[in-house]
Amino acid sequence: MLRYKSRTTLNFTGRRLLQTQTPPPTSQEYLQLAGAYKSLKPRPTPLSTLLSFGSPLTPSSIVLSASYVLEELPRRLVQRVRSMEALPYIVGMNPFIARTLESYRQTFQDLATAPPVVDAASNIEFTRRLENLVRSHANDIPVLARGFQECAKYMRPEVISSFLDGAIRSRIAIRFIAEQHIALTRALKLHPGTQTVPSLEPTHSRGVVDSECSPFEMVNLCTTFVHELCVGTFGMAPDVTIDGMTDVTFPYVPVHVEYVLTEILKNAFRATVENHQRKYGIHSTGPLPQVQITIAYATLPPVPPSVETSFSDNEASTAVSTRKPPSYLSIRVRDQGGGVDPKDLQRIFSYAFTTARGVLNTEDSDLEGGPYAMQAVGGLAGIADTGSMDTDGGDAGGLFGEIVGKGLQTGLGTIAGLGYGLPMARLYASYFGGSLELISMHGHGTDVFIKFRCLDENTNIEV
Amino acid sequence: MFIRRHVSTTPTNRILSPFLRGYSSGPPHFYSNKQLELYANRKTHRLSLRQLVFFGRSMTEDRLIKSANYVRTELPVRIAHRIRDMQLLPYAVVTEEHVAQIYSLYWSAFEKLRNYPQINDRAGNDRFCEFLHEILQEHSAAIPILSLGLSISSPHLTPDELDSFMRRMLVSRISRRVLAEHHLALSEGFAQREKFQTSVENVGIIFTGLNVKRSLDKFIKLISSDAPGGIADRLRQDSVLRSLPKLPEIVVDGEVDATFSYIREHLEYIILELLLNAVRATGYQMCFLPDKVPGVIRATISSDKDDVYLRISDQGGGLMLNERQTPSDLYSFSHHRNITRLDDARLVALQHVSRRKGGMMGKVSEKISARNSNTRAQEEQEEVAEQEEEPQRMGMGLPLSNIYATYFGGTLELMSMDGWGTDVYLKLPRLGTNLEGIEV
Repeated sequence: MLRYKSRTTLNFTGRRLLQTQTPPPTSQEYLQLAGAYKSLKPRPTPLSTLLSFGSPLTPSSIVLSASYVLEELPRRLVQRVRSMEALPYIVGMNPFIARTLESYRQTFQDLATAPPVVDAASNIEFTRRLENLVRSHANDIPVLARGFQECAKYMRPEVISSFLDGAIRSRIAIRFIAEQHIALTRALKLHPGTQTVPSLEPTHSRGVVDSECSPFEMVNLCTTFVHELCVGTFGMAPDVTIDGMTDVTFPYVPVHVEYVLTEILKNAFRATVENHQRKYGIHSTGPLPQVQITIAYATLPPVPPSVETSFSDNEASTAVSTRKPPSYLSIRVRDQGGGVDPKDLQRIFSYAFTTARGVLNTEDSDLEGGPYAMQAVGGLAGIADTGSMDTDGGDAGGLFGEIVGKGLQTGLGTIAGLGYGLPMARLYASYFGGSLELISMHGHGTDVFIKFRCLDENTNIEV
Repeated sequence: MFIRRHVSTTPTNRILSPFLRGYSSGPPHFYSNKQLELYANRKTHRLSLRQLVFFGRSMTEDRLIKSANYVRTELPVRIAHRIRDMQLLPYAVVTEEHVAQIYSLYWSAFEKLRNYPQINDRAGNDRFCEFLHEILQEHSAAIPILSLGLSISSPHLTPDELDSFMRRMLVSRISRRVLAEHHLALSEGFAQREKFQTSVENVGIIFTGLNVKRSLDKFIKLISSDAPGGIADRLRQDSVLRSLPKLPEIVVDGEVDATFSYIREHLEYIILELLLNAVRATGYQMCFLPDKVPGVIRATISSDKDDVYLRISDQGGGLMLNERQTPSDLYSFSHHRNITRLDDARLVALQHVSRRKGGMMGKVSEKISARNSNTRAQEEQEEVAEQEEEPQRMGMGLPLSNIYATYFGGTLELMSMDGWGTDVYLKLPRLGTNLEGIEV
């Protein structure tokens, strides 16, 4: 895809010098487009706006949705491009980083020059293009991860972290907007020729937000997947108990929840097995301690007015006290995997810290067996799709599997990852205002607290 | 030329200015702050647990006297730091009735200590111990009085200023008590050993084989016992808890053998506070949701080479803080962070306790019973305020627990599953190499 001009030069003695490769100069067309968008910054996208295109869902509302996408996405995409262009030159030269940059430029150009959508028919075509674009970006994170790993010596870890945080958050937003439109288009397609779409699928979906996500079902789904993965890797896997408010449902984006759960469960399972094997030997078949999962839901109490009026922060005092307080769905994953070594605690949320002996970690020096370290098993097993760069054939679907309509796959992938799982899980969990916290009791086990902010109707959440 | 003045032996500041009062009738005037500054400019000599144990291990009369003089010279330095700190608070705060009372109290202690003569023999140490007892007693009501005073004068301080000031005061206070009580315990231990030749499980106030489960079991037993005047009794004074046929069950698991060296009083204060919170919260849930299976409170212990860990997990419904708060606000003394500080019930409780003879010393015994306490003054005390309908909840338990936990470098963390329950995580260092967490 990338077209490099390679030059072979001869020095004065006639010997061939190294082939140099420089990227082609940026095309005029692109520069003009980017210039046009120079002053256009991404605008806050209220969730309610996106959801409104689906209620009610009609041929005309889908056109509005498409137009909204065409307005908003280029702004966000060009911002992605700019932030990558701001990386040090040598980093931008890395083929993996360069590949991603080019891919974003292309997508930006495509969308910025796309013809406007005027009816439901032209929307079908537009949405097909959108789906292709989404698919082409499926492996952005693993590719970037690989690139940054190779560039570790050129950039400080904090700078990489900060870049990745921004990149991933922005990516979540872009995909959310795109996928929402794709989902609405599909829903409309299922009911062709109707003026309005009657009550939607049993999942109570208005696009990618399911107003009645069942944590219990999602936990079951993810547990089954991780269980298979664990047995495939270690030959054994712990059982799981689920308690708390098991009947509760809440409005959220199911794939986000599933991604976070899968990452955390992988860590919990791996720790449990490894800790057990460390204590009783690799061939022990003894009972593994269970992983306990607890579900809870609550709406916070309102903020007392007197607290607002004195020593208040920047936020206007009326804003908080008149708004309805937020609701949260909490999930606690508790394992007896021995906990995290205190010396690793600082680093477990930083990108590319892992003690897994993965395919790409041969240069890492943090392989001191011994105490369980919170390895972030993200990367491939959680994200990979076709065309993954890991050659061991890992094809464990997940987040993006669903988006391309395949549903959650339960293929086997490696459980060892790139070290991106924990920081990404935290990004996803905190995306709409939630959180992810980890507490370790070294010598016993780890508790992970995940909180999702419920996407209720009347809140002013932004994408 | 030498000018003879016909004066009494009162300090020279009386002569210098007609406006000055002698030190015996109150804190000295602005111009006589010199002595204080002398001490306040000295650095605090911080100790580690290990040093405290090491010094107390092979006790001789000589070392006992050395310890006495060390305490004698270190205490006024620590108090001087506090006084200077108070002097920098807003005028309106320190002139408030209760804060002023504490300011006076501190000056009196400072003067007494700085003028105390050197200790040279056993008899001198005995007298010094008596003196220490007295001072500790005098200051027993300082916590609630100061807390009350600060709550009242909180409009003059930002939440952070109030918090950090109170925290510094409490930390310093604990540090002075650690020094004093350790020396007192060493003196007593020395006397005992001479008499009985017993091998002891403690060096001063530090218990060398402190088993976490044993402490937990002790309190679990007390909580579930029917003995009058005990913790269970106090818990049942709460009208909600009274209606329960049975208080929530507490279970201990994990590394039940874990032992380490620590100040038992500190560990047990924290444990009891956390257990009581869990029992109250769970009990309330049991009342309001009678159809729900009552949750078990689970205490889990673990350890590694550096630390000992304890987790107390309950199903009491969670902390349910509003979106402006974080769990660490519960450690705050400022009413902005924790609006319950200004609750009438709290203020009344503070006032009540501040007037009580034994005051409040942040000791486990106080939690167990309002009447029973191992302080000498309370043994003599006959009259006690009638037990009120609701127990006196001053709201100091969590802030104090946090200070005890962090004193030698440990941590205390609260995690809430809103709607379900709370998990509290305590971590205490076991090597004893961390220095006291007081300002130098």
